[in-house]
Amino acid sequence: MASENDQHAISSRKALKVAVSALCLEVGFQTAEESVIETLTEMLESFLMELGRSTQAFAELAGRTEGIMTDVIMALIEMGQNIHALPGHAKRPNKTVFLPPAHSAPHPN
Amino acid sequence: GASDNRAGGPLTDFVQQLEDYAPTIPDSVTAFYLNRAGFEATDPRITRLVSIAAQKFVSDIANEALQHCKMKSSSGQTKSKGKDKRLTLTMDDLTPALAEYGINVKKPAYFV
Repeated sequence: MASENDQHAISSRKALKVAVSALCLEVGFQTAEESVIETLTEMLESFLMELGRSTQAFAELAGRTEGIMTDVIMALIEMGQNIHALPGHAKRPNKTVFLPPAHSAPHPN
Repeated sequence: GASDNRAGGPLTDFVQQLEDYAPTIPDSVTAFYLNRAGFEATDPRITRLVSIAAQKFVSDIANEALQHCKMKSSSGQTKSKGKDKRLTLTMDDLTPALAEYGINVKKPAYFV
């Protein structure tokens, strides 16, 4: 159980690293130092977890168990993000997409 | 509609369009970190909105670092960069970029 979760965490972390690298490439860098990618990956992981925590907190404050779009938006605003710039970023012309990692086969034991 | 307001109106439309949008960060990866933080979204559009916000966060920092990198290479410190146009994202560019976000990065003293 625990090791399965660890495997998932490792593969997610790797996928996040690929995403960070793709974003750096999109911006215009051809190469990057390992420590930079690692720093940005750490920040991205932290961002996602904080957004998730904050969204859930807003949902529960409103008496709901599951977060909805407005909770995410409230969490983003509280984190100081400019939500009006999001559609522009989503529609950027040089967007890269890579295949997400598939689920590993369950262990036989 | 009646539920529209200045802040959420256009964004609601935007989220509706995320039905078949593929973000750079895969849905399953974003969902994993959200679940880890205690939030489980059943609507994939919400996961995608989170992915886009997270991507933009990284993209903006990288872009800031790019401006620092370009500024540095144009202000005399050219070390064979005229021939070699490959841009490298280094910690020296990232540190001032993050400083603008109020994040103070210190180079680990014994990091090889």
